Amino acid sequence: MTLHSSRPDARTDLVHGTLDMLILRTLQWGPQHGYAIGQTIRAQSSDVLQVEAGSLYPALQRLAKKGWVTAKWGQTGANQRAKFYRLTPAGKKQLLREESRWTELVNAIGRVMKAAVAPGTEE
Amino acid sequence: MSILTWLKALKALTRRRRDEDDLQEEIRAHLAIAAGERMADGADERSARLESLKEFGNVTLTTEAARRVWIPWWLDALHDQLNDIRYAIRALAKNPAFSLAVIGVLTLGIGLNAAVFTMVKSIALTPLAGVDGSAGLGVVFGETNTGREVDLSYPDYKYIREHDRAFSGLLGSGLITASVGRGEHARPISAELVTGNYFQVLGVGAELGRTLLPSDELAPGRHPVVVLSDGLWRRDFGADPDIVGKTVQIKQYPLTVVGVADPRFHGTIVSYDVEVFIPLMMAAQLGLENTPLSDITTDRRTTILNVLGHLRPGVTFADAAARTGALWAALARDRPLTDPALRLRVVPFWQAPGSAQSYILPSLTVMGAMGLLVLVIACANIAGLVLVRGMSRRGEIAVRLALGATRTRIVRLLLIENLVLAVTGAILGVLLGRRWIPVLVGYIDTLAAPQRVFFNIEVDSLVIAFSALVACGSALLFGFVPALQSSRMDLVSVINEDASPRAGGRGRLRAGLVVSQVAVSLLLLVGAGLAARSFEAAQRANPGFDATHVTSVAVDVKQIRYDEARGRVFYRQLLDAARADPGIESATLAAYNPLNLLETRAQPMEIEGYEPSRGEDMAFLSNTVGADYFRTLRINLLAGRPFEERDDETGAPVAIVNNTLAARFWGGAADAVGKRVRVGGGDWRTVVGVAADVKYLRINESPRPYVYVPFQQSYRSSMILHTRGSVSDATLVARARAHVVALDADLPILSARLLGDEARASLLFFNFTAKMLLIFGMTGMALAAMGTYGLVSYTVKQSTHEIGIRMALGASGLSVVRGFLARGLRLGAIGATVGIVAALGVSRLLTGVLFGVGPTDPVSFVRALALVLGVVAVATIVPAWSAARTNPLSALRHQ
Repeated sequence: MTLHSSRPDARTDLVHGTLDMLILRTLQWGPQHGYAIGQTIRAQSSDVLQVEAGSLYPALQRLAKKGWVTAKWGQTGANQRAKFYRLTPAGKKQLLREESRWTELVNAIGRVMKAAVAPGTEE
Repeated sequence: MSILTWLKALKALTRRRRDEDDLQEEIRAHLAIAAGERMADGADERSARLESLKEFGNVTLTTEAARRVWIPWWLDALHDQLNDIRYAIRALAKNPAFSLAVIGVLTLGIGLNAAVFTMVKSIALTPLAGVDGSAGLGVVFGETNTGREVDLSYPDYKYIREHDRAFSGLLGSGLITASVGRGEHARPISAELVTGNYFQVLGVGAELGRTLLPSDELAPGRHPVVVLSDGLWRRDFGADPDIVGKTVQIKQYPLTVVGVADPRFHGTIVSYDVEVFIPLMMAAQLGLENTPLSDITTDRRTTILNVLGHLRPGVTFADAAARTGALWAALARDRPLTDPALRLRVVPFWQAPGSAQSYILPSLTVMGAMGLLVLVIACANIAGLVLVRGMSRRGEIAVRLALGATRTRIVRLLLIENLVLAVTGAILGVLLGRRWIPVLVGYIDTLAAPQRVFFNIEVDSLVIAFSALVACGSALLFGFVPALQSSRMDLVSVINEDASPRAGGRGRLRAGLVVSQVAVSLLLLVGAGLAARSFEAAQRANPGFDATHVTSVAVDVKQIRYDEARGRVFYRQLLDAARADPGIESATLAAYNPLNLLETRAQPMEIEGYEPSRGEDMAFLSNTVGADYFRTLRINLLAGRPFEERDDETGAPVAIVNNTLAARFWGGAADAVGKRVRVGGGDWRTVVGVAADVKYLRINESPRPYVYVPFQQSYRSSMILHTRGSVSDATLVARARAHVVALDADLPILSARLLGDEARASLLFFNFTAKMLLIFGMTGMALAAMGTYGLVSYTVKQSTHEIGIRMALGASGLSVVRGFLARGLRLGAIGATVGIVAALGVSRLLTGVLFGVGPTDPVSFVRALALVLGVVAVATIVPAWSAARTNPLSALRHQ
């Protein structure tokens, strides 16, 4: 899954929701800045998910607007200035909701994919 | 949109700058961190930065996407729009020739329409300046079953006013011609005799002093007061701040000024500039020209009042008509009418019968339609220019598309450019319209002189809104298709600099533009031709009298308070003096000029031995004339004799009827002589002569019955002196005046001009319509010629290569020109066919404003066709010829 698109309006809701969930999940272990969030998602997905900046930053703005994360300028370990995002209590609740929804979805898809007999092949 | 939404938007706007700076900084930080990590892995600084940037992607798009999260979509769109407008202005300024051409054409097109709309507005939408909601005023009047309009008498009006529940108030007013000042220097003015509630019903206030009040309507002759118009107060009294309480002479009768009306207000008679407002109770003192000196407060046969008022909220015109109709029926039961069966009608103000608005609106409607057609041509014209410009901008648009702009966005950008042009054109057009209209009105004014005319032609928010609408409409019209075309281009071919013209879509579009311009301009020219031909016909038409070398000098001896005996002596002496003048061949008196446009009051008539059928309208127009009248105006007598000096108060009562009346009641002129009639309830009169028909009111009227009575047997204080002479016209008028002044220097001369000039005013509407339509037709033609020329020369330029090859292969210049001409004329012929079909379809709508020509007049059609095809030919030959003369080698080398 590559969250890449040159046309911002082409992104679907599913992708939006999923990216939001991934970001919230990444922030569960503590505040991080934008670049680090992108790198973390990439590393944890073994380079499968590459989050484009063009998707990442609008998503962060969206989450901030909804009150799920807050942002604050700070210093990185390498002593560089960066804006750090932190999960809010509301964001934590949202993450739990998203996780259960996601699990349900994956299970549902799994059941379909694993079905042994194709329906309606009798005739 | 709620206030909360606005507040949120405002907040978003204010924090927007800060947020954006913050986001930019965040992105910089992101890039710095990313580059730092790459450098830590051993990359050099430059490549690290570049790699990071590449990985990040499109910074602007990211910023925009992030911004959209915070800003409401419409605010964002607004911001984009402003940017687009800024960009559009920059792009247009880069190509001033194109921009100026478009703005010029639009200014003309929108200016014409704004001018016509302002006239329509002045007549139908806001007809009375200074009166709120004047378009919604209702007019109450009587109508005979032949459709003749009758004003209301004061007693009838008062009954309706007292019992009516449909109107929030009903005023009555009668228009008279009066004079202000004394003697020869008196100035004729229009005056309204009004009921006490006049100003309250209209909602018009006083600028100084007070308006007239219901307490000014108590008893006849007891209210010698007057309200002046602001114009009169300034012109004749130098805006004297102490005018209230002073005495002014109106018709040489002293009236005390009680106030000056609101400066915007000019009375309730469209096209008249009413300058004084006098209580109706003073009618006997000031005199209504056409009315005997009866007590108007009790006489139900003196129908002098225009009655109007605002409908109550929720009451429709149909309701109002039903309610006043019921009142009228009750009134007729209580006090049976002496007049023929009348019914009351209630109509909106713009339909008021016999009013200027009802005369002018049909012409204006035609002009409005023509104006829009001119605009359509202008748009087709500009579409051609935009199309050509689009070709030269293909590179720019291709780059925009390549950079990821959507097609919608490109179309929007191009449309905004057009809108910027259109709005500029609209602003200039309105300014131009503002300059044109007073010129037109001034033209009407000179024809109406010495009385003043007034139209509510102020450019107000209605005109502005209309022009804005027209501007937006035309921007869409001329911009949409070319913009769509531009955005649909083939990127690869443009980037490969493939400039060879493609046949197909664009060529067809250009051809379509030529065809439509030709068609519409043909339509316009047919309209203009028909109007011009009917004006010619109206001028040539025989009105039944000869107005050349005849004067018309109007006086009213009541203005110097002559009684009947003195008045008779005065007119006797005046005629004697005039006839003794060697420069004057013949002199006579008349109550009305022929062709006088205004509906003079019809007199009820009885024909001996004729029993009118129930409800038959037996009221006919009449004139009071002196001896020698028919000789002076050269009206033919078909039978019997003219009036003579012996037809005086001691002689047997006589009358002369016109041919139509004689034919209707006695079967012919010869049989009419000797029969007896009664005119206006007087004595039985013997018909002594039958006169040929004359155009009494308008040149395009159908024959109507008419009766003449001799002046000496039917005295009036207000008469017109006609003199015919062989001296120069100016001398003739001056001498006629001099004879009046010599008799009494105090007598105001209400007007002194040639009868021909008076008659010319009755041609005003034909003249005006013809001139306007001619202007429209020629403007449309000129635009279409320019457009065709432009498109053909563009096509020729595109084909320079082809021409070069053909000429190199031995084709002559002539054959090249012939080829283009054939193509041009083919398009012209298609356009002309479409135009003729359309013209045949719609010219019937012109019937109401035409005179003496049918709506399918072949001469007008052929002229228009010849002109259009000629212009297309010239517009094709000129560019083709210049192309054919170029050196074929240079044409080939170009590529």
